[in-house]
Amino acid sequence: MKFANEALRNKLAAEYVLGTMSARARRRFDINLKENPALRRAVAEWEKRLTPLALALPEIEPPSRVWQVIESRIRPGRQARPGFWESLSFWRISSFASGLVALALLILVALPGVPPADDTRMVVVMNDLQTSNPAMTVSWEPRKPGKRVMRIRVIGHADMAPGTAWELWMLPGKEQKPVSLGLITTHDAQIVIVPEPLAAKLDGAEGLAMSVEPAGGSPTGLPSGPVLYAGKCVET
Amino acid sequence: MTAMDADQLSELLSRCALRDQQAFRTLYTHSSAKLFAVAVRITRRRDWAEEVLQESFINIWNHCANYSAAKSAPMTWMTAIVRNRALDLLRRPREVEIDEGHEDMMASIPDESPGPEELLKQSMEAGALAECMKQLTGEQQKSIALAFFNGLSHGELARQMQKPLGTVKTWIRRGLERLRTCLDAQAI
Repeated sequence: MKFANEALRNKLAAEYVLGTMSARARRRFDINLKENPALRRAVAEWEKRLTPLALALPEIEPPSRVWQVIESRIRPGRQARPGFWESLSFWRISSFASGLVALALLILVALPGVPPADDTRMVVVMNDLQTSNPAMTVSWEPRKPGKRVMRIRVIGHADMAPGTAWELWMLPGKEQKPVSLGLITTHDAQIVIVPEPLAAKLDGAEGLAMSVEPAGGSPTGLPSGPVLYAGKCVET
Repeated sequence: MTAMDADQLSELLSRCALRDQQAFRTLYTHSSAKLFAVAVRITRRRDWAEEVLQESFINIWNHCANYSAAKSAPMTWMTAIVRNRALDLLRRPREVEIDEGHEDMMASIPDESPGPEELLKQSMEAGALAECMKQLTGEQQKSIALAFFNGLSHGELARQMQKPLGTVKTWIRRGLERLRTCLDAQAI
């Protein structure tokens, strides 16, 4: 592993935080930071040590135009991600073209190891709410006794920010609160088991959503971070 | 403007993660003057500092879900975003060598605003960092303050202090090492 030496990590982290690196060294270091949690920890420690210097500067009030630009850029509908409840209105916008469902089915059928549906299946195509492109599919066999086995496919190469987790939610519909189905990974093929009491409820759910949560999952039992992906349940 | 403690700022950040624009506005109101001072100090130009502050807050809004109160204090997290953006901006024109006006401005720093050593004194009024800074030699203090407050690279520091590059690097390295040992001992 790169920077396995603690003394070297510490020295570079200190230079990075102090600000003495050249542009090229900074760019290289930024790339290493993304891949190396130990290096990130060393940087966080130096930030903690040196930030009191910066915060001792006499305050300067910024001109109001700065906030005006920020405000115009974070307004929903621009590049900001929609809020969770805003994302629920997403269902009503019928943006689920049947073509997307067909595409998802095609993917599922073409996969090795995925048995062909011998009966009806529930399929959810979860779209990336920022790009409206399909990002994840979830499917299971409904109306059986016992647990449900949800097959999850993550489309494309999604990134998970360090220190965060992806949590899958069932949206029961009719103004009911989301119910956690547990944490998932960015792996392209995975399975989530939904145990019995929840299994029957899952069949009647309106949709599913995935939110970004602190490592270990939402501390509140409800989505606390931004919802990245969501989609409606469709029976096929 | 009333000062907010770390817990209040943390709570605002977690509400930003829920896309609460009102909370974000409050966060801006209570932190922007401190953060703007950081940006002005490093970039030495109001227009650049405004750009840095603006882009930093867009960044904060987009990444507040990644903020973890367990890992860093809110002002530490936000200051790092502002400093990194300011340093990136500062390093940019040096490579293509534009804007001679800015070079003139750099040369006139000591006349127009408090120098880094003065700032260091101001910030040394309280806290563990102040105590530990006092243990460094004058050269170590000066080189670290110049780098931190003026955003100078090793090469620029050597030119400004009129010392060989290796000497300046050693002052900084030893100074930081002593600081770390001292601060970590106090933290226990």
